[in-house]
Amino acid sequence: MNSKRYWKNRLPFLLTNLVCMATLTVFLLVCGNSVSAVVLILIVWALVLLTGLVLTYWKRKRQMKKLLDMAKQLSERYLIPEVMELPEQAEDQVYYQLLKMAGKSMLEQIGAVERERLEYKEYIEQWIHEIKTPITAMKLLCENHRTDWTKELLLELEKTNRFTEQALYYARSEHTEKDYSVREMALSQLVHQAIADNKYLLLQSGMRLEVEEMHDTVYSDEKWVRFILNQLIANAVKYRTEQPVLRISTLKRQDQVVLVVEDNGIGIAVSDLPRIFEKGFTGQNGRLIQQSTGIGLYLCKRLCEKLGIGITAESSEHGTAISLSFHINCLIHEVQS
Amino acid sequence: MAGQNKEGAESMKRYKIMVIEDDSVIQGELQTLLNGNGYTTIGVKSFSAVTEQIKDEKPHLILLDIKLPGENGFALCSKIRTFSEVPIIFVTSCNTDMDELNSIMLGGDAFITKPYNSAILLAKIASLLKKAYPAQQREQIVYGDAVLHLESSSLDYNGQSVELTKNELKILYYLFKNGGKICSRGDMIEYLWDNQLYVDDNALSVNINRIREKLASIGLTDFIKTKHRQGYTI
Repeated sequence: MNSKRYWKNRLPFLLTNLVCMATLTVFLLVCGNSVSAVVLILIVWALVLLTGLVLTYWKRKRQMKKLLDMAKQLSERYLIPEVMELPEQAEDQVYYQLLKMAGKSMLEQIGAVERERLEYKEYIEQWIHEIKTPITAMKLLCENHRTDWTKELLLELEKTNRFTEQALYYARSEHTEKDYSVREMALSQLVHQAIADNKYLLLQSGMRLEVEEMHDTVYSDEKWVRFILNQLIANAVKYRTEQPVLRISTLKRQDQVVLVVEDNGIGIAVSDLPRIFEKGFTGQNGRLIQQSTGIGLYLCKRLCEKLGIGITAESSEHGTAISLSFHINCLIHEVQS
Repeated sequence: MAGQNKEGAESMKRYKIMVIEDDSVIQGELQTLLNGNGYTTIGVKSFSAVTEQIKDEKPHLILLDIKLPGENGFALCSKIRTFSEVPIIFVTSCNTDMDELNSIMLGGDAFITKPYNSAILLAKIASLLKKAYPAQQREQIVYGDAVLHLESSSLDYNGQSVELTKNELKILYYLFKNGGKICSRGDMIEYLWDNQLYVDDNALSVNINRIREKLASIGLTDFIKTKHRQGYTI
């Protein structure tokens, strides 16, 4: 509460008192009272007035501070009218009522928006499931009736599928915790699966693949990790140079298995490197290649955070290496052995 | 049909696979795919009497969609399990974990999400059939006087034998399977990729030359012929 303003607001009341004091003084003096008696009366009046004012000020200040503190502690501040007590003062009660009304209409609005958003999200998810049926049908049609152009069509279908998956994961990513199924999975199988998902993309771009033998198994959610790998492979193709090479290998580091996806592409500028996981960030490469959306790596990072996978990027002008580090849970291995 | 994994065609007997799928295009194309890979297929046309049809036809494996008109795939699966242990692969577009969990709990053997990679689907079918009906696999394949041994990864000709590497075996296997037909380099590379051997165009030439040398060493010359601008044939 601004004290200056508070006292300014009290000015009319004080002035009234002063006028009253003056009138009384004149009246008392005219009636023949002694000056000392009048001064005494005035002093007592002033004291009582001052004490009253200070006390009221102090009480109000405390009240207001309590309210402010209460609001600060609330995580959803718009709920303040629900938790505050009904104030004593008549004007305050009006404000209280106003607050209540505002809060209520706000909650209604939020509820409506939330419902709408949920419905939209459900619709998107359903739509993605439905679009997969025609994609599957097209894929099968292409594979069963091969001609010169089916390969190109299959490549486009791969792309279509990748974008649909991206949309699905984007729609779902805020609720990933409900969509986990962590289990043991062989890294080699995962990598081969991701390559199979992008077969036509890789073949058409002339990418040479070097896939090391992998024997490690990790505990994570297969479809999310596959999604991450698909994004990384798509990036390696997008930012390739002539005679592109994609190398996928693993290494052990203390209690971690690190899956390294390395390409010999155009690389990422040093100044851009710290920001590549930001949403919508495309950097210098984005200006070179038009298909950069700045979404792929952002989703990867977000998923990795939720899955407890470490993701780091290294880059030079000779290529980029993205490392995914999975924790090996010693306990699980001990129990198993 | 070139370029597909033909693991299933190894069996002497043709396995019968039932496709339960409500999208008629997918059902038709799946049947074409499976037929082309040496399986007999049954497509379910009416979804009201699926269990009876299964009892009549006794398929070796069932491909089951989850979203079906009327009764869904899960209910159908648990019904099938009351009278049969036939391997069931769930093929669906809903890839939530609840669905996956449900499918396993109800006795499904595998769960594949749309749009599936046909090579992976065929590999899964082959491995499930192998597990469910062991000792029906043929391990060798013959073309002319040459015999390709799949398990020992070798080739016999006139009593002489030569060892093959993984790449060489798969290349020869593909040529044997398409015996007489021309196999384009692109299709061969795709087939190798489906088998997790990531060779490129140059590596394929190198491998073919190496196979020719090996075959020549046991007296089998001019076995693999190059068709200019088209590919290879045997």
